[in-house]
Amino acid sequence: MASKDLVLESAADRNTRFERDALVFTNQLYAAALRYTKNPEDARDLVQDTYLKAFASFHQFEEGTNLRAWLYRVLTTTFINTYRKDQRRPQISNNELEEWQVAEAQSHTSDQGKSAEVEALENLPDSDIKRALQEIPEEFRIVVYLADVEGFSYKEIAEIVGAPAGTVMSRLHRGRKQLREKLASYAKELGYSVSDSTSPDSDKKGGSK
Amino acid sequence: MSYIEIKCGDVLASVVFIIEGELNEIPQADAISNHITTCAPCAAEIEHERAMHQMLQDVLKRSCNEQAPEDLHESIHRQLRAQMAGAPSVVTQFSMTEISIEIDEFGNVEHREIQIEQTHIQHFIDDED
Repeated sequence: MASKDLVLESAADRNTRFERDALVFTNQLYAAALRYTKNPEDARDLVQDTYLKAFASFHQFEEGTNLRAWLYRVLTTTFINTYRKDQRRPQISNNELEEWQVAEAQSHTSDQGKSAEVEALENLPDSDIKRALQEIPEEFRIVVYLADVEGFSYKEIAEIVGAPAGTVMSRLHRGRKQLREKLASYAKELGYSVSDSTSPDSDKKGGSK
Repeated sequence: MSYIEIKCGDVLASVVFIIEGELNEIPQADAISNHITTCAPCAAEIEHERAMHQMLQDVLKRSCNEQAPEDLHESIHRQLRAQMAGAPSVVTQFSMTEISIEIDEFGNVEHREIQIEQTHIQHFIDDED
């Protein structure tokens, strides 16, 4: 009878443990799913699928490791494999790491440019922040979200999205950059002078010295 | 060890590593660190990048905090319960054979065998709801 008790206990306990430990992340996963899918219906389905898949493979989850990161991995792979399939968006090239390291001309920003950017970011409404996030390419959006909203390290993100750590770093860099550019352009529409602080209507020059 | 070894552009291109606290991941880490301590514009730039990153994180966290609709919580709960009910359960099977042999006073042997079978299936559902 002892062996039967063991079987009985572990299955029931595992179910309880899943409900207790995993379901607390529903709100967080839903907010992430909204950013991934860009609409509430798909976000709902994605979160639901994520939980069902996670539950089905919960026996593979190592207790004591990061359950939240594991759930995000299930969410992200489910999204990539199912919800994105029919969208046919072009993938970012493989040599993206080299591209950004060599090709990007970096220069110092003027102090005025800096303070204008801060002011713009402080004053933009939430809807603009979300819009900017929606408009950047998906590969960038996912890593920026995981890093800057969820606070995962870039190595954890590499595990979650199934990409090399260097690739994650480059996407993070480019994603944040594009996001800031979007926000700066919205701010400009709202009347904040962001990109150039000297002449009122000159085009964006990056404010370099 | 002077900052001539490395250009401002190289430092600024590595800003993401600096912000992530992962400068050690790149080969020029020492040269970059040294450069920053001696080059005021780069130091200021990195300071600004840190501040911007902090702000960006703050506005992102503030904006992306939607709550899942109540019926989604319920629906997940319900589906999980269904899956748990359909998940492999413990099936216990008893099988017992009763054998009786009777010998009467005339020496006749009467042999009977009765087989009793019982199957018990244990699902793991709480009955609370």
